[in-house]
Formats: sequence, structure tokens, C-alpha cells
Amino acid sequence: MRSLLLQIAATIKINLKSLPQRFWLSLSTVVAVGLVVVVLLSFLAMANGFRQAVKGSGSEDIAIVLRGGSRSELNSTISRDQIRLIEEAPGVARNAEGKPLVSAELYLVVDGLKRATGTKANLPLRGIGPMGAALRKSITLAQGRMFEPGSNEIVVGKGLLAEYRGFELGSTVKFGTTRWTVVGVFEAGGSVFESEIWADLPVVQSLFNRTNFFQTVRARLTGPQAIAALKRYNDEDPRLKLDVKTENEYFADQSSNTTDLIQKLGWPLAIAMAFGALAGALNTMYSSVAARTVEIATLRAIGFGAFPAFVGTLVESLVLSALGGVLGAGATFVFFHGLTASTLGESFTQVVFSFTLTPALALQGIVLALVVGLVGGLFPAIRAARLPIVAGLQG
Amino acid sequence: MTDVSLIARNLFRKKLRAALMIVSIMTAFLIFGVLVAFEHAFNAGEDLAAADRLMVVNKINFTQPLPYAYYERVKAVEGVRQVSHANWFGGYYQEPKNFLIVLAVEPESYLKIYDRELDVPDDARRAFLSERTGALVGEALAQDKGWKVGDRLPVSSTIYSQKNGGHVWEMTVVGIAKPAKPHIDSNFIVFHYDYFNETRSFGKDMIGWLVLTTTSPAVNDKVAKTVDAMFANSTAETATDTEKAFNKAFAAQFGNIALIVKLVVGAAFVTILMIVGNTMAMAVRERVREIAVLKTLGFPPARILRLILGESLLLALLGGLPGIGLAALAVAALREKLLNFIPGMVMTPDIAVLAVVLMLGLGLVTGIIPAFSAMRLNIASALGRS
Repeated sequence: MRSLLLQIAATIKINLKSLPQRFWLSLSTVVAVGLVVVVLLSFLAMANGFRQAVKGSGSEDIAIVLRGGSRSELNSTISRDQIRLIEEAPGVARNAEGKPLVSAELYLVVDGLKRATGTKANLPLRGIGPMGAALRKSITLAQGRMFEPGSNEIVVGKGLLAEYRGFELGSTVKFGTTRWTVVGVFEAGGSVFESEIWADLPVVQSLFNRTNFFQTVRARLTGPQAIAALKRYNDEDPRLKLDVKTENEYFADQSSNTTDLIQKLGWPLAIAMAFGALAGALNTMYSSVAARTVEIATLRAIGFGAFPAFVGTLVESLVLSALGGVLGAGATFVFFHGLTASTLGESFTQVVFSFTLTPALALQGIVLALVVGLVGGLFPAIRAARLPIVAGLQG
Repeated sequence: MTDVSLIARNLFRKKLRAALMIVSIMTAFLIFGVLVAFEHAFNAGEDLAAADRLMVVNKINFTQPLPYAYYERVKAVEGVRQVSHANWFGGYYQEPKNFLIVLAVEPESYLKIYDRELDVPDDARRAFLSERTGALVGEALAQDKGWKVGDRLPVSSTIYSQKNGGHVWEMTVVGIAKPAKPHIDSNFIVFHYDYFNETRSFGKDMIGWLVLTTTSPAVNDKVAKTVDAMFANSTAETATDTEKAFNKAFAAQFGNIALIVKLVVGAAFVTILMIVGNTMAMAVRERVREIAVLKTLGFPPARILRLILGESLLLALLGGLPGIGLAALAVAALREKLLNFIPGMVMTPDIAVLAVVLMLGLGLVTGIIPAFSAMRLNIASALGRS
């Protein structure tokens, strides 16, 4: 047993030490595997970044109420009577003065110019009431102040400011014929709210000809379990029949399509590329076995077993692919991690997010690399083990 | 033995190696074909836009409505040939997840404006114009759902409600609109604006956008400026642009798809350049003595060059042509699945021609250095090697 282990250790050492002799071919395998991993991980980091931004926006103790079947805030409409009924609903929390913690909101789309391309993009303008900001978790003002009720003032999210032109603190923004002043920039923990513009609800209603028009209602629940009571109340009242969800549920729905799509593009592409890299790895390893025919036969002649020859070749292949995997993950981290991007979300407005590579994702990339290395080394290793000794010695 | 058979023999002397190279090239061209077809379909709106068609939308954003009165006023602008209008309905069938592209339009002018894109039989056209609750369904959607002329469709809206509080509009399929070219999207339903406008509970007499054709693309700018000036300082200012610019800006909202496609295809090609280039160099190194013998036999250097380059070109074509063939099959299979996301994904002759150019390029790049070194080979020293 000990001699077998020593033999294996020796063949592995020989294999790895002979790598520089096949430098370019081995390098091409490393790079090929590395590129497969970069493609996979950049898509996964994109999907993950988008999901974190959207899914992370919701709270489990905030209920969001939409018109039945509307699916997104942009489509929904809610009447004033319905808002009143929700304010009186069970499960809705109240503040010290006994006022319900409810925010009826308007969600409109306005144009902004993307800094990178100068092209128009759909940005969300949200009209919120006095409770609006308090109904979102971790909202902090990074610059300036909140808008004054009744004025043409807006506050913008940090992500929106970074990606779109003309929203700097103090600047004037025109939506159609209306003029607005940016008085504050807020942070919201990287959530979708950071891609939004907020203004006072009655001002937005009047300047956009939407008097008495509301689209969604947010309500703070007395606790996460209170959603059931609110849902039951909604189902039982024929005047409501609205879609009631926790914000968590709502944003999970909103993120799933885009996240799925990015992942469904990334995996097949990476797998297709992995086949190309596999062909390269097999070629490299067969060449390695061919180049070391005399060497392997010599080892066998002096008493080395077939198994150490097999392991030596397999380990060489695994080492090359692992190197490719690690380099690929590293390159993805350096070039893509933290990269800010934006795309059109389910609400038909831009969602700003940043590519997020996690250790768990990097591991998926390295596993794919090792699969390529395992399959790419297996067959050449079998050939190395079965090499006829006498013929091999003749070269 | 002719040069061609000599090239083929050389390539396949190590069958396994040749097969592996072919597989690796094939996957690169499969990826190339599918992704480029995807990108073309994604940007089809821009490529297919008619040069004389303009979009008039609300200046705040195209989701904001315009007053119906603009329709009549734009009609009177000099240089405008036809005008129509449309309104996004936010349609779905039975369940909100069965999303449908449904537009409420002014039927007669809408069909005239999209005359070159949509092939609507005369009887269907007549039925659509006369039937108030009639709907014209695009061929792709009709095939996908199995809808036929005469079917009654309950189409729901995620946005609008009827005056009675319901969200469902009853429509009758009166015709199927066929796309005039394969790239054209036919995954839609259009129905009467009048029916929609009279029954909805809010937004009455507002429209989504106007689409117009000009008498000639040369007057596009002038017409756009005149229209926008006409509504300047009103409550609904307009932004008028060519259909092409509008579609391009809209596609750009999803992100830089072209860049992503370029990066992935680039990665796939770098991979095969390295693998195939190294393998060709190795193959020639193994054959140094043979090449020296050919030279001794009197093969001119140019012929040696041709033999090696021929081999790398043959390899590129043997991998690339099946690769692009597979891509065509994959695109045909994906076409149905991606109908709602990017309609009209097809493998066009342009993509195939570009692929062949890339194959020739790949063959030349991977073969040129080994071919030159073979051509310049010193017979005496090569034969001296063991």
C-alpha cells in the first residue's frame, strides 16, 4: 500500500514537472477552462446582483396592495374608498397618535438620460405621502433633505444618480412642462428604491393630471403574521378584491423572471463552451501521454503499476483545469464584481444593480472547471495505464 | 495523390485529434450562430423600422398618454401622409402570467401604416373594420394558442377596468395577420380603440402614442419639429422621433446586449484560436522530417505553404460548417420558446456568410505561422533532427 502511494506521488510529481515541456498547449487548456468559468460566473454574478437588488427591497412586515391581476405597481389603480378600507383593516399598525401606517402612492414613468450611452431610459417617479419613507427599511439621506410637502421638490436614489444624468443635488429637472428641484439623495441599502425618484403625492397627482388617482397602497403590519388577517379581510369585502402580498413576496416575484432569464442564458452558454474546452483538454492530455510514452513505459518496466500512471495523468489534467477555474473566478472578480449595470425590470422601469460574485457562485464555476478536467483527463489516463510496455519503450 | 487528398490525409492521420479539434470549432460556431441570431432578433425593431415612419409620444415618457385630439391635429401637418394611434392594453389571457401584447388601435389607418409588414387577407381586413369587437391576431400568437377565426376571446387587462368593474374585454377573432418577412413580430392582438375607449372606466379620450408616415424620409426632421412645436408648452408635450431611433432607444433599455454577445463570442473564439493554433503548430513540428523530404523531392515552398494552410482551412470548415448548421437547428428550436421575449429569431444568410468568413479567418490565423515555418524549413537541419 505504501509503495503504491509512493508510486502515485512519484508519477504525479513527474507529470507536473514535465508541464513546462508542453507549456503552450497546457496554457491553452488553462485559458480555455478559465474563459468558460468567466462566462458562467459573469452571468451568475449578474443574475445574483439583480436578484439581491430586487428581492432585497422587500420587508416581511410591509403589505403591498395592488389592483387584482395587475402584477406590478405601474399597472395598478386603487380608489380612494379602497384606501380608506385598508386604513381600517385588521393587522395594519398604527403610530402613537393612532394613525394607520399606510401610504397610498402613485407610480409614474419619466425619461432620464443614461450616463453611459446618452439614451433615454424609463425611470420611476413615485408620489409618496408623509408615511412613505418610514414604510421602507433603512432609508437614509446621503445628501440634502427630504422634499417639502406641497412643493415641486424631488429626492433621488443613489443608484439613479450614479447611472443617469442631471439629478445632482440642487439641479432642476424637467418632466414635460413641469420643473422640479433635486433637494436630496437617499440611500436604501442597494435596493430598487435607490433607482427611484420620490416626490410629494398631491403635487405629482396635480402636475401629472392624476387628481384622485392612486396606484398602490403600502401598509405596515403589526407583525409578519398579520398578513393573513389582512388577506382574509380583503377577500371577504366585495369592495376590495385586491391583490394583497407582503413586500417580500412581491419583490421575489418581480425578480424571478429576469433572474431566471439571465441564468438560463448563462448556463447553456457555459456548458456549450465547456464542450469546446473539453475537446481542448482531451487533446492536451492525449498529447501529454504521447509525449511521455517512453517515460511511462520505463516507469512500468522498473516496476511501477498501471494505476499510478493513470493517477498521474488524471491529476495533471485536474491541476490544469483547477488552475483555469481559479483564474477564471479571479478574473470575474477583478473585472465584473461590483460593476454597476441597469436593466428594465418587471415594473417597466430601470433597476440599477451591481454584479455580485459570491464564494458559493465561484465554487460552481470551479466545480464546472473540475468536471472538464476530470472528463478531459480520464480517457487519456486510461490510455496511459494501458500503454504496452515493450512497444512504448521503443518510442 | 492530389494536394487535396494529401491535405485530408495529413489532417486525419491522427483521427482522434482531428475529431477533437472539429468538436471544439463546432461549439464555437454554434455559440456564434445562436448568439448573433439572438442579437439580430433583439435589435430587429431597429433594422426593420421603415425610414418614413415616425413615432409621436409624450415627452415625459412613452408610457404617459396623449389627448385623442392630437390625432386629428397631426393629420393636418404638412408632409404627413398617414397617421394612426395605439394604446397599450396590458393584456393577458385567463391568468396574469399568460401575458399578451394587445393594442387598442384605430383599425383602418393602423393597417395602412403597417401595410408593408403585415399581410392581412381582404376578407379579414373587411371583417376587422366592420366588427366593433373584432380582433386581429398575429400569426405567431394564433399558432401558439391555437386560436382560429371566429373564436371568442376573453382578454383581460392588467391596467384597465370596464365601467362595470370587470377587467375582461370580450373580443372575436376576425382574422389572422401574417408577417410579410420572417423577422417581423406577429405575436400580438390589435382591437378597436372605439370599443376600448367607450367601455373603460378611466383615461377616456386619451391615446398611448401616434405613429405616422411622412411623404418622404427627407421631410422627417421637418415634420418632427412641426409636431413637437405644435404641442410645446401644453400639458402634454410630445417627443417625435423616427421609428428606428425609438426602437433603438427602447432596446437599449434592456442593457448592452450587443456588447454581451461580443464578449461571449470573443471568449469562444479566443478559446479555439489557442487550442487549434497550438495543435496546428504541434502537428507541423511532428512532421518536420516529412516536410523536409517533400522539399527534397522538389516541392516548391509555395506548395508547402498551401498544403499546411489548406489543412488548417479544411479543419476550420469541417468544424465551422456543422457548427453553424447546428446553430440553425438550435435557433429554429428556440424560436417558439422565446416567442414572448424576442420574437422572430431566425438564422439569416448574412449570419451564415459572416460565419464562413470567420471560418476562413480562423483557418488562416491558425495555419499561417506553422505554414511559414514549414515553408522556410532548412532541409539539412530538419533531416538531421531525430
